[in-house]
Amino acid sequence: MHSGYPAWEHSPFEALRAVSPASAQEKDVLYWAREMDAVATRRDRTSFMRIYDHFQPRVQRYLENVGAPEMVAEELAQEALLRLWQRAGSYDNARSSLGTWLFRIARNLQIDRVRREPHWVNVQDALEQLDEFENPGEASATEAVAAHCDLAGRVEKLPAIQARLIRMSYFEGKTHREISDEIDMPLGTVKSNLRRALLRLQVQVRGRP
Amino acid sequence: MNPQHHLDPATLVSFASGALGEAMVAVAATHLVGCRRCRALLRDADDIGGRLLAQQQPDRNRQGRFEVLRKAMSERLDGVPLETSPQPKPENVLSVVPEDHLPEPLHRYFGTTYSGLRWRWVAPGVRLIRADNARAGSLIMLKIAPGKSLPTHGHGGTELTQVLRGAYDDRLGHFAPGDMADLDSEVEHQPVTIPGVPCVCVAALEAPLRFRGWLARKLQPLVGL
Ligand SMILES: [Zn+2]
Repeated sequence: MHSGYPAWEHSPFEALRAVSPASAQEKDVLYWAREMDAVATRRDRTSFMRIYDHFQPRVQRYLENVGAPEMVAEELAQEALLRLWQRAGSYDNARSSLGTWLFRIARNLQIDRVRREPHWVNVQDALEQLDEFENPGEASATEAVAAHCDLAGRVEKLPAIQARLIRMSYFEGKTHREISDEIDMPLGTVKSNLRRALLRLQVQVRGRP
Repeated sequence: MNPQHHLDPATLVSFASGALGEAMVAVAATHLVGCRRCRALLRDADDIGGRLLAQQQPDRNRQGRFEVLRKAMSERLDGVPLETSPQPKPENVLSVVPEDHLPEPLHRYFGTTYSGLRWRWVAPGVRLIRADNARAGSLIMLKIAPGKSLPTHGHGGTELTQVLRGAYDDRLGHFAPGDMADLDSEVEHQPVTIPGVPCVCVAALEAPLRFRGWLARKLQPLVGL
C-alpha cells in the first residue's frame, strides 16, 4: 500500500523539477489535479495516498507554524486530509491549486478548533459558495494552471521585507498593528508593503491593470 | 450594486490569513458579499497561503510517527463516503436578499432585519447599536439623519465602515450602499450624510475613535468606545 517513497524524499515527480525548473510548477499543479480527479471519480486509494504522502507533513507543519501544539496539528492535519478524501468531488482545479484548497481547509480547521471562532468559518464557506454560484468555470483549466504557476514563482520572488510581512500575517496570524509594534515599522508602511505584495501577485496572475 | 470604494488589499491579506479580528471580519465580509472585485483579490490572497503551505519542509525526524498516521488514515478511508457537494441555490446565496434583510454576516450580531433593529439615541440625529458579542474590537451600526454633519474624528486604529443604506460624502469621496471606507489612524474625516434618507452603516473599530469638539465629548461616553 505504500507508494514507494517517503514523503520527505523527492517523489519521482519532484525529481523532474530539478531537471526542468521552468515547467516544474506547471507539471506539479497538473499532477495533483490528475490525482485528485482519480480520487473523485474512481475513489482511487493509491492516488489519495500519494496526495497524503506529499501534503500531510506540509499541512501539519503549517498548522504547527500557526501555533497549534504538535498533537493538535497532527489531528487536524489528519482531518484535513480526510476531508480531501470526502470532498474530492467539489475540488475544481480551474478554481484553485490543490495547495490552496488544502490551505483553506487547514486554516479553517485551525480557526474553528484552536481559536474557536466557528462563525469565521461560516463566513468563509458562504463566500466560497457565492463564488461557485457566480463564476462556474470562469477560467479554462489551462489558464488557471498557468496562473497558479505564475503566482508560485512570484511568491518566491517577493522582496525580503514583503515576504517577511506576508509570513508574519499567514504564519503568526498577526494584525497590521501587531506587526507594526513588533518590528517597529510605522503602521502605514506595514499596510503599504502588504498591499504592494498582494497587488503585485494579483496583477501578474490575472493580468489586470 | 457596484461598489466604488473597496477594502484595502492589505486588509484582504489579513482576512485570508485569519489575522483579522471578529468585528472586522463581520464588516469586511459584508462588503465581500456584494463585491466581486474584492472576492477575486481574496482568492489571490488565499493562493499566497496555498503557496506558503506547499513550501513547508516536512520534518525528516518524524518518519516513524508518519508511518503510524499513514496507516491510521488508510484504515479510515473505507468508512468515509464521497460527499456530493450541494448545488448552491440562489436563495441561499448571500447577496440575494429582500429589502428588509440585513446582510448575512451581520445576523449573528444584529439580527436578520432592518425593521427589527432596536436603535439607541445617542445625539440629535445619531442613533446607534453596539454588538456586545463580537470578541475582538468594537462592532457598531450607526443611523445618521439626512443632511447631518458628523464631528471630525480620527482613528486610534483601523476602522472599516460599510454603507448599507443612504449615503454620505467626505473628503475621500461619495460613499453609497456597498461602499467600504477602510481607514487607518492617519485619516481624519468629517462625513456629511446626503439629504432625503438616513444613512445606515456598519463599522468595526480596532481601537477607540478620537472625536473632537462638543458633540464628540457628548458622544464618546454614550458610544462607550
Ligand atoms: Zn470591493
